[in-house]
Amino acid sequence: MVDVSGIVSGIVEKIFAALTANMVNIPILEPLINKLLQIPLVNLVVAFILWKPAFVILFVPGLLAVTVVLLIMIWWERKLTARIQWRVGPKEVSRRTGGIIQTLADGMRYMFQEVIIHRDAHKLYFLQLPILSFIPVLLPILLIPAGTIYAIRSPYAIQIAVALTALLPIFILGIGWSANNRFAFIGTVREAFLYVAYEIPLMIAVLSMVLLYKSGDPFVIVEKQWIPGIFMNPIAFIAFLIGMVMAAGRLPFDISEADQEIAFGPFVEYSGIIFGLVMGIAYEKLYLLSLIAAILFFGGWSGPEIAFLGELSYAIWLFLKAFVLMGFIVMVRAIYGRYRLDQALKFGWSSLLTFSLIGFFISAGWVIWLG
Amino acid sequence: MEEISIEVPVEPPKEYEWYFIPVPKKFVEEAYRKDEFVVFVGPQHPGSGHMRIILRLKGDFITDVIPDPGYVHRSMEKLAEYKTYIQNIPLVERPSIMDFGNYNLGYVRAIEEALEIEVPERAKYIRTILAELSRIGTHLYDAGILAVFLGHTTGFMYPFAVREFIVEMITRITGTRITGSFIVPGGVRRDVDNDTLQKIKRMTYALENRLKKFEKIFITNPTTIARLKDVGVLSKEEAIKLGVVGPFLRACGVEYDVRKVEPYEAYDEIDWEMVVGEDGDGYTRFLVRVNEVSQSINMLRQLVDNIPEGDVISEDIVAFDRKDIRGSFFEAYGDLVLPKGEYTSITEASRGSLLFTIVSDGESTTPYRLRIVTPSWLYLKGFMESLKGERLADLQAIYGSWGYFPPEADR
Repeated sequence: MVDVSGIVSGIVEKIFAALTANMVNIPILEPLINKLLQIPLVNLVVAFILWKPAFVILFVPGLLAVTVVLLIMIWWERKLTARIQWRVGPKEVSRRTGGIIQTLADGMRYMFQEVIIHRDAHKLYFLQLPILSFIPVLLPILLIPAGTIYAIRSPYAIQIAVALTALLPIFILGIGWSANNRFAFIGTVREAFLYVAYEIPLMIAVLSMVLLYKSGDPFVIVEKQWIPGIFMNPIAFIAFLIGMVMAAGRLPFDISEADQEIAFGPFVEYSGIIFGLVMGIAYEKLYLLSLIAAILFFGGWSGPEIAFLGELSYAIWLFLKAFVLMGFIVMVRAIYGRYRLDQALKFGWSSLLTFSLIGFFISAGWVIWLG
Repeated sequence: MEEISIEVPVEPPKEYEWYFIPVPKKFVEEAYRKDEFVVFVGPQHPGSGHMRIILRLKGDFITDVIPDPGYVHRSMEKLAEYKTYIQNIPLVERPSIMDFGNYNLGYVRAIEEALEIEVPERAKYIRTILAELSRIGTHLYDAGILAVFLGHTTGFMYPFAVREFIVEMITRITGTRITGSFIVPGGVRRDVDNDTLQKIKRMTYALENRLKKFEKIFITNPTTIARLKDVGVLSKEEAIKLGVVGPFLRACGVEYDVRKVEPYEAYDEIDWEMVVGEDGDGYTRFLVRVNEVSQSINMLRQLVDNIPEGDVISEDIVAFDRKDIRGSFFEAYGDLVLPKGEYTSITEASRGSLLFTIVSDGESTTPYRLRIVTPSWLYLKGFMESLKGERLADLQAIYGSWGYFPPEADR
């Protein structure tokens, strides 16, 4: 006679033990978590959520943080742009907080709007590509650690994360192809042109920092920053920053979307919540690159530890640094107009590439000098 | 690369015929043979206004272009034949409602020419103030549209915020924000008090301050210069040949301004300079209008300082109150009949020369024919010519640099 329930409970206990061995430690939530861990089945869920690899994807710097970025950053961008332009910005939804839930309200409107799929579209790709684009958004997060909260530790983590982020334009190309619209085609071709122009300087800037720290492991990188990386190699930072603005499709390099010229290019045919998703892609990419920039140039998660948050305080510091950087970049929209495609390509292939190469040589100089 | 011509019979889509799209068969055939694209921009496109532009594209470059205007045609000329002369004043300002001062002025001057009415000095000054206020307002509006075509949202918000000053002053004078219908044959509707005049002068200083900020963020912005410089160039000879008018003609280096050549109202009594450009590209076309705004500000100050005292309605007009025509409209204009003949006036509206021709049969209280030739319509040809050889992405930049206004062109 085989004791089935005994075997099952044994497996469950083993899984539970494996999960609890690698749990996020948050002192302020300790009593609540301990109480929840006493309840059967619920304890398994709680242990899984707090299991570090799952926590990274689900909370900080993963899905929850991306949502917060989308909700708050768009509001912040609109408010900041409005201030620069002698306006007030969103305020009618939740007046007392200055319209902070405006983006949520917009998102809800998108939810209830009809998703129109036009006759010419390739229906399968047209619908699934915006959703699939979350893959290259969430995969790099596995490799970006927040203090002791991490999923995968690798000496090539930064390189892999940047390479995975660079997959996003492929999805945009697919979206443009499946839309089967002439403005979408023009926008897609523009995106493809720009892709090469900014990705190479961006990667050289990242590699020059990796060369400076002699490792792609974020733990080593943060440890080695006795002063923030931005002061060690400011040229590489400028190249990275401009590359980041181009990669995220922000003005003045808002060329593939250019609403006055080609009516949002690849995204011209989308409506409803799918439109909300595709418009989020640029912000998600900006967020990922800001996280990488925070690690490479601003000392990552290093900062005064907040006792009651425990391990979470590292994640909060990393998130805050990325958030402030993003908050700065979204302001550029109010200052510049849009460059033409050929001007942006010329800039990317000449000035930006030169800048990133100079940054590379500065890093090489540091390495030789420091030995 | 060797060009391969494909000799296949080409049939333009049937829809071209159904929807009366002005594309000749040859246009489509040539595009197919030369491996080009026929692209329709508009009329629902965010960067085309209320018109359709039919382009032939070789890669990213525009090789040929056909305009398809008329989407906002309101048949002003025909409507005018069924209204009395005084009822036509609110009608003729409709093509470009921001520019109502100049439109009223042009129409009313044609009537005054027919009736040989001498307008009092004070009324002339008030009319000129209105015309210049309208000019600043229209130029600011066009600058905002140009900025938004370049993706520069701040450059769009600033002029529209500044234009509010102008609109406020127009409200103080006429009682409405736009479409004032303030200028009537023989003068203006009513006198402007001294307080309002001083306010206008004070407003010009505030306007200048705000425009400095606009200059910093948009006019000298590197992206603006990169997008507009050497784009959509029209040479001096071409501009004259194609009949380009107004600031766009002056941007090509031609010294022609109706206000200087045939001065009307108070333009010859004040000191101002004609703004002339050189290069004839998009940036010059924009800069000429920017400089015209500062000239207009200068003019407004002089007009306010030098305005004479007196009546605002001519002695020839029946009016119970020489400072205010309200209440005497029926007596003054109810049975207005122009002598038989054809009367023409040319006015320098914001976007260029504006021509009004009234044909009267000498019997009826309505015009036999009213002809309006608007500046946008006159420079449409030059606009289309300047598009050739440029990139597709430049279409909006050139469009904005011309300040093309479809309702004005279509009338």
